[in-house]
Amino acid sequence: MKKKLLATLLAVALMATSLVGCGGKDDEGSKDSGNAGNTTNDGGSSDAGDTTPSGEKEDVALVMWGAEEHQTMLRTMADEFIAAYADQANITIDLGVQSEAGTKDTILTDPTAAADVFAFADDQINELVANKCLQPVVENTDAIIAANSAASIDAATVDGTLYAYPMTASNGYFMYYNKEYFTEEDVKTLDGMIAAAEAAGKQISMTVNDGWYLYSFFAGAGLTVGLEADGVTNYCTWNATDTAITGVDVANALLDICAKPGFAVLSDAEFATGVKDGSIIAGVNGTWNATTAQDAWGDNYAAVKLPTYTVAGQQAQMCSFAGFKLVGVSAYSEQPYWAMMLAEWITNETNQATRFDLTGEGPSNVNIAGTDKVLSAPAIAALASQASYATAQRVGGNYWSPAQTFGQNMADGNPNGEDLQTLLDTMVEGITAPVQ
Amino acid sequence: MKSIKNFFCSIGRFFKDFGVAVVKGDIWVKLSLLIMGAGYFGRKQYVKGVLMTALQAVIIAFTVLFGLPYIGKFDTLGDVQRESVYDPALRKNVVNDYDHSFKILLFGLISIIVIIVAVVIWIRNVVSVRKLQVLAENGKHINTFREDVREFRNGKFHITLLSLPVSGIVCFTIVPLLVIILVAFTSYNKTHMPPAELFTWVGFDNFEKMFSSSLTTTFNYSFGKVLSWTLIWAVAATATTYIGGILLSMFLNNSKTKLPKMWRTFFVIAIAVPQFVSLLLVRNFFADMGIVNTICNNLGITDFLKEIGWVRSSLDHIPFLTDPTWAKFTIIIINIWVGVPYLMLIATGVLMNIPTDLTEAARIDGANGFQIFRKITMPYMLFVTGPYLVTQFVGNINNFNVIYLLTNDVYITLDQKLANSTATEVDLLVTWLFKLTQNDYNYNMASVIGIMVFIICAVFTLVAFNFMIKGDREEDFQ
Amino acid sequence: MSRRVMKRIVNPIIRHAVLLFLSVVWLVPIVWLVCTSFSDYPGINIRTFLPEGWTFKNYTLLFSDPDSVANFPKWFMNTFIIAIFTCLISSSFVLMVSYATSCMRFKMRKPLMNIAIILNLFPGFLTMIAIYFILKELNLTNSHLGLILVYAGSSGLGYLVAKGFFDTIPSSLRESARIEGASEDQIFLKIVIPMSKPIIVYTVINSFLAPWMDFVMAKLVLNSGLSKDWTVAIGLYNMLGKTLINSYFARFCAGGVLVSIPISVLFIIMQKFYVEGITGGAVKG
Repeated sequence: MKKKLLATLLAVALMATSLVGCGGKDDEGSKDSGNAGNTTNDGGSSDAGDTTPSGEKEDVALVMWGAEEHQTMLRTMADEFIAAYADQANITIDLGVQSEAGTKDTILTDPTAAADVFAFADDQINELVANKCLQPVVENTDAIIAANSAASIDAATVDGTLYAYPMTASNGYFMYYNKEYFTEEDVKTLDGMIAAAEAAGKQISMTVNDGWYLYSFFAGAGLTVGLEADGVTNYCTWNATDTAITGVDVANALLDICAKPGFAVLSDAEFATGVKDGSIIAGVNGTWNATTAQDAWGDNYAAVKLPTYTVAGQQAQMCSFAGFKLVGVSAYSEQPYWAMMLAEWITNETNQATRFDLTGEGPSNVNIAGTDKVLSAPAIAALASQASYATAQRVGGNYWSPAQTFGQNMADGNPNGEDLQTLLDTMVEGITAPVQ
Repeated sequence: MKSIKNFFCSIGRFFKDFGVAVVKGDIWVKLSLLIMGAGYFGRKQYVKGVLMTALQAVIIAFTVLFGLPYIGKFDTLGDVQRESVYDPALRKNVVNDYDHSFKILLFGLISIIVIIVAVVIWIRNVVSVRKLQVLAENGKHINTFREDVREFRNGKFHITLLSLPVSGIVCFTIVPLLVIILVAFTSYNKTHMPPAELFTWVGFDNFEKMFSSSLTTTFNYSFGKVLSWTLIWAVAATATTYIGGILLSMFLNNSKTKLPKMWRTFFVIAIAVPQFVSLLLVRNFFADMGIVNTICNNLGITDFLKEIGWVRSSLDHIPFLTDPTWAKFTIIIINIWVGVPYLMLIATGVLMNIPTDLTEAARIDGANGFQIFRKITMPYMLFVTGPYLVTQFVGNINNFNVIYLLTNDVYITLDQKLANSTATEVDLLVTWLFKLTQNDYNYNMASVIGIMVFIICAVFTLVAFNFMIKGDREEDFQ
Repeated sequence: MSRRVMKRIVNPIIRHAVLLFLSVVWLVPIVWLVCTSFSDYPGINIRTFLPEGWTFKNYTLLFSDPDSVANFPKWFMNTFIIAIFTCLISSSFVLMVSYATSCMRFKMRKPLMNIAIILNLFPGFLTMIAIYFILKELNLTNSHLGLILVYAGSSGLGYLVAKGFFDTIPSSLRESARIEGASEDQIFLKIVIPMSKPIIVYTVINSFLAPWMDFVMAKLVLNSGLSKDWTVAIGLYNMLGKTLINSYFARFCAGGVLVSIPISVLFIIMQKFYVEGITGGAVKG
């Protein structure tokens, strides 16, 4: 009888040892348990020792993540990169699908499994840097800083170190409208737009229940949210009571706006649907919906900077987050040099121009941004005029959930009848809660 | 109580056997304290001897080369932080020899388990070698290796059957579970994520955070809310699908129903579509701008509901999945849609087994259909499917798919306090746990929630089984 | 109208009307799925129940034009292979464990069963991240083998239903075989297994379906972003992402239909065994 247990345990032991046998093969695993003094190469692979920059051709395998809709374009760019450096290395590039909005979430789950090169929206840079997922840009840094707009470089820089390559400068938001229904005068104020929409029996839309857009109203009233020095905790004055426009004023303005029949709170996808079926004739959104609006409205398609809105009896200019798309290199890449070269290639002048032609996204490269072709695109022009009211997005992860809930409360007209100051206080408490 | 006593008795016996073996054993037994195969060599069981010695060598090599470095750092979970510097000449990053807290936790734990198992094997080994000695001294037959192997097809067949599945369970359930339980006592979260950062032990801090209210965190508030909805949901979901399933199957299996197979197939098709397809579909079906709302608008149902106050007048749609009360209601209804066909299939089988003489006798006594259902069918079903019902309840507490697929990205809470800890009114403990790990990387708090879910399920199961099953009827069933 | 006529004519009509109504309720979403998969509008049609234009395009696109978003043939093959292996391993695990715990008597039986009950009470998602790191150390992330191990590894824990079925097989049968000199493995393979068709079918269906339904674990394990490695579930789930849903919803429906057809056929064919198997087991729980 007793040997039965023994045999069971034996099976367990064998299993455990086989587990170890495999674990030992992994270079990272054995590296950890050595002593702390000596240093090893991150790659740890056999080619680490004999590779020199001037040596013979090395084999380089890279993985790059990009948005679903850009795969074909990225493939072409990657193939051109391989051809351009064919004399120096045998490069292979695998393309992976990763939406730019969700890059951070995928990487943080396991930073060591990240692609060598990946695209992401600039709001994610703080968390990526805080968790040391990004390789600082050390090859050709000055050239990159010179080539791209100061604002985009600023968005890619944390604590004075450049961590990413600016790719587009059009990831912010502005106002789309259908010229058929609005005059140039109408689009200067939100009230004017809503009135015009109501007159036409249509609606304009903005995703108020999203921290990204909600920011517009509070920032417009001079209230602030941002990052503390530690890079993860937020500060927030949205519940201020001692300012010219108080937090409660903004909340009341929001309630007024959301209650109007000409105003709808729609998600990006619902906005696109509404534009297509004609029920939505204007809305705050980003360049990713430019083609949708253009197709639906044809010659009447127009874009303009955000309007002013009425708060505490005055007109305040709505602000926005200036959005950039960046390309980063993983801090855990085994080929950091080639990864940096690829990231630079994807974001160079030629490829930014290609990207603009194919996707309509505004370039961050100063030379391309200055061309007539780019300047004449309504969406890009609208973003340019919005630029002076836009700030780089510097908020930590605790911002989004409370802001979204507050926005939903406003959109629903504060259904539980809660005291606005209490609502604001609780939201600010959540936004500024320490990350622990 | 008796089982606990038995447990300690068997441990006592285990060590007693070992003591006896060491004291009374001959030179071979004593030698096998050092070399595990020795005792078998002495009895001419060479293959077994080689195997045991090889196993011993593997275990020792594993412990020294792999296990000890991790165990040494287990108390702090590492103290050397990762630093990486780019070397332009090499074109590579030069990384220091850093500690990876999670690996230390994982491999430290595995090493400790292996060592404990090794000690047990070692003791067992001495005892069984001593047994061989006794056999030899009494002149009895000692199995050859071939005979030993043959035993695994006969007397020890259960070991052959169980060893692979059990090792699978150890690898993919027990070890991960132990690791995660330990994580509940560490600071493993967003600001302490390996490999870039280290985490360490924090004792019961996380549990305190979950159960005490402080100004900055609202876990305590959210836990109460989420827990109460989890329990309401589990009761409602279990009860509705159970009763619905039985009624439907009685309806289908009634002799007056024509083409019962065809009808049954209709319901089976609904569950044959994978849940992530059907639920995501239904979610868009009931969306604020979805097709159901369009139809309700056109039929005037939305206006009617507004008039009687069920829908806020400011809305132009029915908030099926976006209002706390509506969403809870809709979710339970959709769950009926998902769950009833399964129960229908099970109930069909059970109902077929109801002794017909019982119902016939009742009918002769003049009972009507409803009385038969209440007095005979239902008690019989409850009796037979009782344990299944308990499993079902526990399954609903952990019903991730329905809640997650229906509400994730769609439902936005209006409760600022819930939002501050990433929870919503419609979250179950499991979906909250999942969101905490996926969006916030708050692994330590998620582990605390996981342990709580376990405790709730365990208490419930114990109570339920004690009520339902008096004694063990397993043997007399056969 | 006399009472008897009522009973004979009206009752069946009401009965079948109710059934018809219920069937409609249960099938409406499925009908919508099928219809939308033939819609010529790629996004979600919110105005009418039936599509405004009909087309086969969504299906042909899935097969003829595999891009990184919709690489359906590859996903289908991946999932199919994973499902076959998962099914083989976990069906045998489940049958082995349930036979051992039901038909054999040994000292560790009760403790092992108690441990299994305890393990089943922990929420599965809790261990996900730990399993991921274990797989990573074994170099099995982003591999289908890793996913198979995850699906099949712990399958022994789901032995209860099958055990309940084995419990109903009279022990006298095994006894007489033993007297005739059959060894335990012969009793298992030659006597009990051939008698257990319903529960085997039940177990096989269940384990074969798991990889088609799971998107959470699959997404975590196959995290390289290379869509050619994905399973159907990840791929289809991905199509409903915010940026994609408006151009891929109809194709999502088409993919959903294609996955559901084989599963539905399996379900309908095996319905009888399913009912027998699950009740044989669930009766005892």
